[in-house]
Amino acid sequence: MRSQLNGAASGIVFRGGFGMPERNTPQKTLESWKQIAGYLDRSERTVRRWEASEGLPVHRREHEKQDTVFAYRHEIEVWSRLRTKCPREISIDEAESLPPLKPATNAYLIEHDAITRTMHCYIAGARAGDGDLMRPAFHPSATISGYCQGVEYSGPVEHVFQWITENGPAPNINPRFARIEIIESIAVVHLEVQRWSGRLAGANARASDVFTLLKWNGEWKITHKLFHWHDQ
Amino acid sequence: MAKSEYLTEYDGIVKTMQMYIDGSKQGKSVLMRPAFHPDASFFGYAGEQLAVGTQFLFDWIDKNGPAPKIEPRVVSVDILESIAVVRLEVAGWSGNLAGSGVRMSDLFTLLRTPSGWKIIQKAFHWHA
Repeated sequence: MRSQLNGAASGIVFRGGFGMPERNTPQKTLESWKQIAGYLDRSERTVRRWEASEGLPVHRREHEKQDTVFAYRHEIEVWSRLRTKCPREISIDEAESLPPLKPATNAYLIEHDAITRTMHCYIAGARAGDGDLMRPAFHPSATISGYCQGVEYSGPVEHVFQWITENGPAPNINPRFARIEIIESIAVVHLEVQRWSGRLAGANARASDVFTLLKWNGEWKITHKLFHWHDQ
Repeated sequence: MAKSEYLTEYDGIVKTMQMYIDGSKQGKSVLMRPAFHPDASFFGYAGEQLAVGTQFLFDWIDKNGPAPKIEPRVVSVDILESIAVVRLEVAGWSGNLAGSGVRMSDLFTLLRTPSGWKIIQKAFHWHA
């Protein structure tokens, strides 16, 4: 397993074969909507919409003027690859809990939308069977615990990434946000996921997950995933 | 979950939470340690600093000393079979490190183990 965030894209061969233009610029980050739009060869309006509706991984800088954004090229590439691989499933399944297209102005809703964006990053990785895809959703020191087939388990988050990748694609997972509770800098998300499948999950499994999140460097990161697999 | 079964689990969770509350009130981490799972984690901001790890919590409790006037309220208990979430609101924190009249919001996640419900994570927000 690659252990660094920046290593997420290192094994990915990306040659612009999915409608992406090749770029020779050495920089690893795109520093504005304009640069992100240029990299994806689309209008700024389109990439802003993709962030709101399709989970395009765009980051915000805190303590600066509103809408100061940047993106990591490797994250954009992974997102683009996934989107090209199964665009239909994403647009249909994720439509259920989309953030509004118009950015929220209410302080609570801004945090709520930021939390669901982080959770969609987890869901996208789970669906694709790609542990590296969900890595940005987690704090580096995050841990996991819970029960699987009656056996208690706890360990580092790296085990989640390994499990997800070994499990492979689970295209039919049906996630529901059962609860999102925000207390200033911390939050809890109860996610109910039906129709888990894959090499390790089996078929049509159900899991209840409780995620604890922390607002860290201006972004919501999962610090703990607590899970219960329901007996089939 | 049948009603009586739910109450049994609820009581078990409250018992575990009481150990945390007793340790906080007396300023003795030894009282709350049995409430925590060996692999438990701890997260939150103490001022600007991100505090991580249960050892930070236990050291803080011991250095803070007694906080006899804390008012703990269990705001919610959510049980999902073998796992649970507890939201605790604690007003009236005091002590060597806390100062006085401090309010803390805590999110505890718990795991049901053969030796009872154990806290697997505590996340906190200190209201400045």
